[in-house]
Amino acid sequence: MNAIEIHDVSKSYGKVRALSGVSLNVKEGEIFGLIGPDGAGKTSLFRILTTLLLADGGTASVAGLDVVKDYAGIRRIIGYMPGRFSLYQDLSVRENLEFFATVFGTTVEENYDVIRDIYSQIEPFRDRRAGALSGGMKQKLALCCALVHKPSVLFLDEPTTGVDAVSRRDFWNMLARIKASGVTVFVSTPYMDEASLCDRVALIMHGSIIDSGTPSKIESEYPYALYAVKGSPMYPLLKYLRSTDGVLSCFSFGSVHHLAVDPSVADARQKILSEIVSAGFKDCEVHQIRPGIEDCFMYLAGRYRQGGEERGTVRSGHAGA
Amino acid sequence: MWKYLIEKEFRQFFRDPMLPRIVIVFPLLMMLVFPFAANMEVKNINLVVVDNDRTDISAELIEKCTGSGYFRLKAVCSDPREAQEMMDRNTVDAILTIGQGFSRSIVTGEDFPVGIKVNTVNGTKGSIGSQYLSDCIMLFMKQFAGDGSSSPQTASGPVIDAAPKYYYNPYMDYKVFMVPSLMVIAVTMVTGFFPALNIVGEKEAGTIEQMNVSPVSKTAFIVCKMIPYWVITFFMLGMCLLIAWLVFGYVCRGSLWGVVLFTVLHIMVTAGLGLLISSYSENAQQAMFIMMFFVLIFMLMSGVFTPVSSMPAWARAITYANPLRYYADAMRAIFLKGSSVADLWYDAAGLLAIGVTVLFWAVRSYRKTS
Repeated sequence: MNAIEIHDVSKSYGKVRALSGVSLNVKEGEIFGLIGPDGAGKTSLFRILTTLLLADGGTASVAGLDVVKDYAGIRRIIGYMPGRFSLYQDLSVRENLEFFATVFGTTVEENYDVIRDIYSQIEPFRDRRAGALSGGMKQKLALCCALVHKPSVLFLDEPTTGVDAVSRRDFWNMLARIKASGVTVFVSTPYMDEASLCDRVALIMHGSIIDSGTPSKIESEYPYALYAVKGSPMYPLLKYLRSTDGVLSCFSFGSVHHLAVDPSVADARQKILSEIVSAGFKDCEVHQIRPGIEDCFMYLAGRYRQGGEERGTVRSGHAGA
Repeated sequence: MWKYLIEKEFRQFFRDPMLPRIVIVFPLLMMLVFPFAANMEVKNINLVVVDNDRTDISAELIEKCTGSGYFRLKAVCSDPREAQEMMDRNTVDAILTIGQGFSRSIVTGEDFPVGIKVNTVNGTKGSIGSQYLSDCIMLFMKQFAGDGSSSPQTASGPVIDAAPKYYYNPYMDYKVFMVPSLMVIAVTMVTGFFPALNIVGEKEAGTIEQMNVSPVSKTAFIVCKMIPYWVITFFMLGMCLLIAWLVFGYVCRGSLWGVVLFTVLHIMVTAGLGLLISSYSENAQQAMFIMMFFVLIFMLMSGVFTPVSSMPAWARAITYANPLRYYADAMRAIFLKGSSVADLWYDAAGLLAIGVTVLFWAVRSYRKTS
């Protein structure tokens, strides 16, 4: 059985379309990542699934319970951690935990084994007020509070946004342990590099799912040959590469540019290298690389934009029928 | 679960750096300072007399006026322009002009020349001042006429002597009148606005979202939020009654159960209002501004400070929708007059009608936003 089933869900805020025809299935016991930039509709989808928001169209269910009809049932079996820290700042760590346990009709002791791993890290500060905790500890407390009633599905809306690299890694380790205890984890993130830590991901943009599957499946479907190009100065190099024949796309990735080339072009690496050297760029390096999720996202987003108008007409036809 | 929710509210309340202090200080201030400050009695009216008569009788009149305790004699001069100048400079509030031949006219009973001029930049002070002044002159005249056995006035016919007797507040003590009204204001603030700010606070902190995904129903959550404030309200009310008794010696004439009943009815209104405000505002600032708006209208149009009956018809019409009008009226009647609840059915019905409307609206708007 699927832990979450989303079928053709749409949501608009006035004229702004937040979600258009989203369909997804999340299997029981997996970590499913919803990956997309800010404003893609991630939080809207989370709020619909956690029964905080009504969709304009489509159906969705969590653990077999409909988000509209059985909203009360869903609230009993899910844990939700919103993107913003939203616990009682004026209550202590222990009080917050006890409060949320009570609200869900249980006690901290009863489900202590669920939160032990995480809670043990913040236990030394149990009497400190939540507002006085550091960012990383706040996050751990929020996770404890979301887990204290032993939910079967855990919703985490951008849990790692604004968290440092070490805490992020810690956090994903915790998620792996939570998953191991049998909880389905539905997590959203704007960080593409976190995709590989999920069992399966869906890429979302402008309210549409542009691809979904295991990270390796998405990466393997990347159609072009990809090269990492280095040279100085960087920005003129990017502009130069974009105007070069045979280059399909070129994006800046930190210290290198990722360059997509039609795979049928023979000996592309050598060609690019000699071209940029002769154009006067210094310290040039070109390597063929394996595409990551971000490359795939860029490619899919580009394709999505191109097809935008065409798809728009198709959808309005659907709505009429 | 309910117990724990309420416990949490109390805990947060006492942990707040401001709220517990406000609850203690607010009624103290209301009861100990405002009855003296928010006072309609006018005292210390600065008076200048232009005495053109300069006789014993005119001097007696001046003494009569200054002896009343309401006036402070600034100067006696003979030039009206000088007196006018003093008023222009704002050193005096009233000018009493005694014309030439005053002493003669008063004996013969002719029209006698006395003029009163008041500075009405402060309208209340001016009108009340001139009232006092003319009262003094009338009193003086009457006494004078009584002294002279062969006064022509007594001979001309019976003089009607109307002596007012003030019921329920025999000494016309303004403080007695204000004490129950100030309790009304204190109750309104605590039951209406504190919970509204609290709910908006949870909205701002995002914690309300966290509660919404829990099995706790919205109703239970909100009711549990309000209960502590209701408890605190009755604590405050008790404190107000105690202060009124200890400091002013005022005891509620009517039954305390009547006070409790009307307070409960009023709480129904303010709770609904607080909910409405919190459901329409996104943050504390917005909520504060909406409250300011309501507070001003409620207070000025409630009859607490100025009688409703002296308002123009259109303003009176508005007061019918003002819960404070009914609550203040009922509290005054119970407190000063000892009215029973049955006597005040009109106020109870008013509060009930407004309460049901507001609560209905509040619950609907809450559903919509969910």
